[in-house]
Amino acid sequence: MDGIVELQRQLIDYTASLFHEGFLDEQFNQLQQLEDENNPGFVVEVVTLFFEDADRLLNELTKALGQPSVDFKSLDAHVHQLKGSSSSIGAHRIHRVCISFRNSCEEQNVEGCLKNLQQVKHEYSLVKDRLETLFRMEQQILNAGGSVRR
Amino acid sequence: MGTNCRHVFDRLHNFATCWKKRSTPTGRRIFHRDVEKEEFQYASTQCLSSYYSVFVVRLAIMAMLAILIGLLTFLTWHFTKIYTTKSLNSLAYDLRYELLQRPILRMWNILNSTSEITTAQVKLSQYVIRSHTNLATHADQVEMYDAMRAVTWALFASKRALNSITVKYKNGFVQAFHRDLKDNNTFYIYSDLANYSMAAGGYNEINSLSPHEAWNDKDIHGNKSAIWYREPLDPVSGEKTGKVMPIAPEDSINIAGLSQVPDGVASWHVAVSKFTDSPLLSAALPVWDSSNKSIVAVVGVTTALYSVGQLMKELVELHSGHMYLTSREGYLLATSTNAPLLSNSTKPPKLKMAVDCENEVIREGAQWLQKTYGNNSPQSHEVHVENVKLGHQQYYIDSFFLNLKRLPLVGVIIIPRKHIMGQADERAFKTLVILISASLCIIVIGCVCILILTNGVSKEMKLRAELISHLEARRKAEASSNYKSQFLANMSHELRTPMAAVIGLLDILISDDHLTNEQCATVTQIRKCSTALLRLLNNILDLSKVESGKLILEDAEFDLGRELEGLVDMFSVQCINHNVETVLDLSDDMPKLVRGDSARVVQIFANLINNSIKFTISGHIILRGWCENPNSCSDDTNFPLEQKKSRCSQKTKAKQHENNAKRISNRDNKMKLWFEVDDTGCGIDPSKWESVFESFEQADPSTTRLHGGTGLGLCIVRTLVNKMGGEIKVVKKEGPGTLMRLYLRLSAPVDTTEQHCQEDFANKGLVVLLALHGNMGRLVTSKWLQKNGVVTMEASEWNGLTQTLRVLFHARSSAHHNGFDGNYSIHDNLKSKLLSIQELRNPVFVIAVDIGLLDLSTDIWKEQLNFLHKYFGRAKFVWILNHDSSNTIKMELCKKGHTLTVNKPFYKTKMIHILEAIIKERNDELQKKNMTTPRATLKEGDLHESLEIDYTQCDVASSDGSDISEVGGSNPVSVSEDKQREKIMRSNPSSQHQINNLVGLANEYMEDNNPRKEELSQSSLNSNDVTTNAIPKSSSTKQTSFATGAQGEDSESSEARRASSSSRAVSGKKSLEGLRILLAEDTPVIQRVATIMLEKMGATVVAVGDGQQAVDALNGMSGVEDCRRESLLKERNTRSSQPEILSYPPYDLILMDCQMPKMDGYEATKAIRKSEVGTDMHIPIVALTAHAMSCDEAKCLEVGMDAYLTKPIDFKLMESTILSLTRRTS
Repeated sequence: MDGIVELQRQLIDYTASLFHEGFLDEQFNQLQQLEDENNPGFVVEVVTLFFEDADRLLNELTKALGQPSVDFKSLDAHVHQLKGSSSSIGAHRIHRVCISFRNSCEEQNVEGCLKNLQQVKHEYSLVKDRLETLFRMEQQILNAGGSVRR
Repeated sequence: MGTNCRHVFDRLHNFATCWKKRSTPTGRRIFHRDVEKEEFQYASTQCLSSYYSVFVVRLAIMAMLAILIGLLTFLTWHFTKIYTTKSLNSLAYDLRYELLQRPILRMWNILNSTSEITTAQVKLSQYVIRSHTNLATHADQVEMYDAMRAVTWALFASKRALNSITVKYKNGFVQAFHRDLKDNNTFYIYSDLANYSMAAGGYNEINSLSPHEAWNDKDIHGNKSAIWYREPLDPVSGEKTGKVMPIAPEDSINIAGLSQVPDGVASWHVAVSKFTDSPLLSAALPVWDSSNKSIVAVVGVTTALYSVGQLMKELVELHSGHMYLTSREGYLLATSTNAPLLSNSTKPPKLKMAVDCENEVIREGAQWLQKTYGNNSPQSHEVHVENVKLGHQQYYIDSFFLNLKRLPLVGVIIIPRKHIMGQADERAFKTLVILISASLCIIVIGCVCILILTNGVSKEMKLRAELISHLEARRKAEASSNYKSQFLANMSHELRTPMAAVIGLLDILISDDHLTNEQCATVTQIRKCSTALLRLLNNILDLSKVESGKLILEDAEFDLGRELEGLVDMFSVQCINHNVETVLDLSDDMPKLVRGDSARVVQIFANLINNSIKFTISGHIILRGWCENPNSCSDDTNFPLEQKKSRCSQKTKAKQHENNAKRISNRDNKMKLWFEVDDTGCGIDPSKWESVFESFEQADPSTTRLHGGTGLGLCIVRTLVNKMGGEIKVVKKEGPGTLMRLYLRLSAPVDTTEQHCQEDFANKGLVVLLALHGNMGRLVTSKWLQKNGVVTMEASEWNGLTQTLRVLFHARSSAHHNGFDGNYSIHDNLKSKLLSIQELRNPVFVIAVDIGLLDLSTDIWKEQLNFLHKYFGRAKFVWILNHDSSNTIKMELCKKGHTLTVNKPFYKTKMIHILEAIIKERNDELQKKNMTTPRATLKEGDLHESLEIDYTQCDVASSDGSDISEVGGSNPVSVSEDKQREKIMRSNPSSQHQINNLVGLANEYMEDNNPRKEELSQSSLNSNDVTTNAIPKSSSTKQTSFATGAQGEDSESSEARRASSSSRAVSGKKSLEGLRILLAEDTPVIQRVATIMLEKMGATVVAVGDGQQAVDALNGMSGVEDCRRESLLKERNTRSSQPEILSYPPYDLILMDCQMPKMDGYEATKAIRKSEVGTDMHIPIVALTAHAMSCDEAKCLEVGMDAYLTKPIDFKLMESTILSLTRRTS
């Protein structure tokens, strides 16, 4: 039991650190609130959806930026989508980078776009890592018979 | 002089440049710390350098002036002096020459005459002697001597200047005439004749050539024994006048002897006599015998040079100076002074040398000459020397050489320079002094002038530099102020976000059931404080937004009247607590619809009214509004009397610039709308009338303590008003309180007048009895009614009402029988009213009774009600309820069949609706009578109608920025029609919903309601005053919403609403139960999140991937089915049942993402709205967008969407938005 309590504390600390470091914002809280007995694993599901979506979008972006003449309009649309989905799961840092990415798109600044793409990828990998860790911890708690308090 | 000036100038210039060099680095050091100031520094150094250049120029001008004037002075002086000197010098030279010439001439004359006389004497002697060649006898000899004497005398007498004539014969005989010039005696001197024999003479004659020496003076000199005699003579006649006296030879005169004519020619010499003190000029000439072989006698003539000296003296007296004549050897012959010419020390006296002269000047002059020219003085050259310093004075020395044979003479004239040039020198000196002093004066004055002149210039430059620096400083200050505003704008935005979170979390906490009472109270307190803080932040944000120019006013059409009514509704609740009456008085000419930023307009009035409420303890607050039209002056009648005066005066005041403004406003259809907020509070001191509009400024500092507030409200109002092209000011009013007057320029749509259709109540036979508690409200309403031709009576309290009622109805009934009955005391006003009522053919009585007139404290009100009920059949009763009127009263009223109720405050629009309802009912009744067909629904419809008045007003009151569209364009009448139609179509939830609104009035309907729904309606209607009888918890929430809403906070009420809805959401209530929502969203994540959110709220969700699918889903069922299948893959537990899906219309609301592939949200919305044209349908569409820009919102609303949500989706905001939209259409 003590192990569970310890794990729970760790989870809470970890979540708090994610919020503190700006990886997540209150939107993630809302997501967690939406999860109930009717929708078990809702957060994981949505986040997984986000990962898929983001992977796809990042590929698209990389492809679009690799082309000799960059179609900024479609680029912008992709970034916009990424922005929307990241804001929906509360991935705050990606959201922020997306905003500057879009500014670069508007300025038609290829270099800025590339830089932002790198940053988005970086942030994305960070968030992905963090969230996976988070889910793993939750899973551990659940497996140990504890409950994840939200 | 010129070089001196240049030198000085150069030095000054060097100094200036040195200074410049020195001071420039100082300046750099001062400004160097800030890089931004470089520009400024540049300007200042430039300025400094120009200052130096001015300095240098000043110096240059001064130097040039000095040089010029100096030159001028010098030249003037030079020319005047030089020419004068030159001419004077030449003149002086002439003079000197002339002066010297004269004594020399005299000398010459003397010499000449002397020689002439000598020659004459010789000739005569020769003649006489030759005629006596044979001197045989002594007597002959005597005879010859006598003849000689006579001849000699004749000559002597003819020349007065002669000193003496001597004749010495060969034999030693001497004959002489002598004139003593001193005592003017003339003597004849002769030797003793006896001593001489003719033989000796003969002897001599024989040996004439050989014994020359024998003839010598030896004879005479050696002959000591010779006796001479002197005989004084009469100087004129030559007669002997005295005794002959024997004298020693050569005693008185020198006798020229043979020695003086050694070679037989004439000789000259200057002799000195011991008898005279002046030198004598003596000439000697031999007398030859007839054969010219031997000398027989020697004739000597002496002339005194005394006259020359005399002449010199005369001349010198005239011309000053000194003159002297010297012999070639340097012996003085004549001087112009009285100094002795002979030296007394030696015997015999000798001539003095000039250098030994007793006269200093002459001596020094002679010495100088000797020193200069030595002994070999220029013989033939004349000497002319100027400015010889002798003693202490300067002299001219001129010498002339007179080369006489045997007697060369040198004449010297010494004239003091002072005598000739004295005046000129003096003049020259004076002139120089005057010129120099004058030029100095000019230079000084010129320098001063230049200094002053350039000082002015440099001063101006300094000022200019200062100005530049001031401008710079001002620019910086402005920039910093701008930064401040921007900082505030950004910061308050940043602050607002966490505040919202805090408040939201507090709401969650409040709704937590596990809190103890104490904790709950604390949290509520925290929430209150938080909202207060948020309000402050919002104020600052507003202000800084305006200041930083970020505030952009919307330009949307809105119903101004309704917004203001909502505002008054909202505030009236607060006012009733304060025992203050809130009155809305809008004139009929106000346009119904205007274009502008409704939220900001409402904010303006909210702030103003809120301010008034704060300071008004009792009395009233009137919000007046009228339209400024060129032709509105004529219909002043609809304004309260007290206002008319001030308005007229103000009109004339503002006429000029209004005329101007009118032209403009007419062109772009802008109207000038005037408003007044008039309260009876404590008022503002006139000195503060201007300053109250400043930021953080309050009329009385103590108000913060008493009433709270930050002093930002009025500042925001003014900035907003100014932004809308208006002005606000405090106006003097009679009586206590404050009168704020403002105008706004709002454009009105052209077709407003057509929409503004109002039934004509004039000839409907309406009689209105206003039994209202508040004086102002009653006055305003009755004025308006009377203007519209409705007969109006007033009563302010219960007794008045009963009396009027009695008079009205008893008089009427009696009037049928015997005309007017005077049983009751009726005053004239009422009388005339009664008369006019009698004229009405079929009058309908409307009695508006304020519930406050009844005595509610006891049970008397029931009796009063019963009393009024007596008139029920004869008149229509309209009950004006307070928002806190108890349910029992309402039920009692319902029981009695009094169905027309309105809530306070009572104003024009409500009156219009009541009257319209009554007219309609009467018409219906007339129809019913005619048709005799009972219509059960009619009454219900009326009921609804009357209620809807409240409903819409409340809706407006609670309107906030997020759901303006909810209010927009919904006309009460049309809404009621809509509702009736929908009620028929969809009997179940909507009708329940509808009935729910009647809680306070129709109790029997409430019994049908299920409790959950009731709560739902409470929360959805939040600030609706119908829900007074709700459970304590919700009423407390409501109170909060009132308190906050009253502050004019747009977001506030939405906050409150969110709070109330969130509490419900947390407690597991499904607020959106039964709603079907179509979600069009391409991003899977968002789609999923939104779906779950909505489902959690109880809604049924159908999700589609793009706009095209959404349109299809709405239009064709097949499309819907496809989509449903797609969405069902994701929906694990859809609780929606099949029949509901198939029911029509399929969806209650659409959530539409704006940016989607294939067809975006705008296009989709356009398509949907297009398909709706011609039908009555209007499906609410809510935009979902990530653009948080106002322009996007405008675009969304433009294409026909009803509301607007930003991503990430806020749970509560979405809920409230959906509720507000579905509730309206349900």
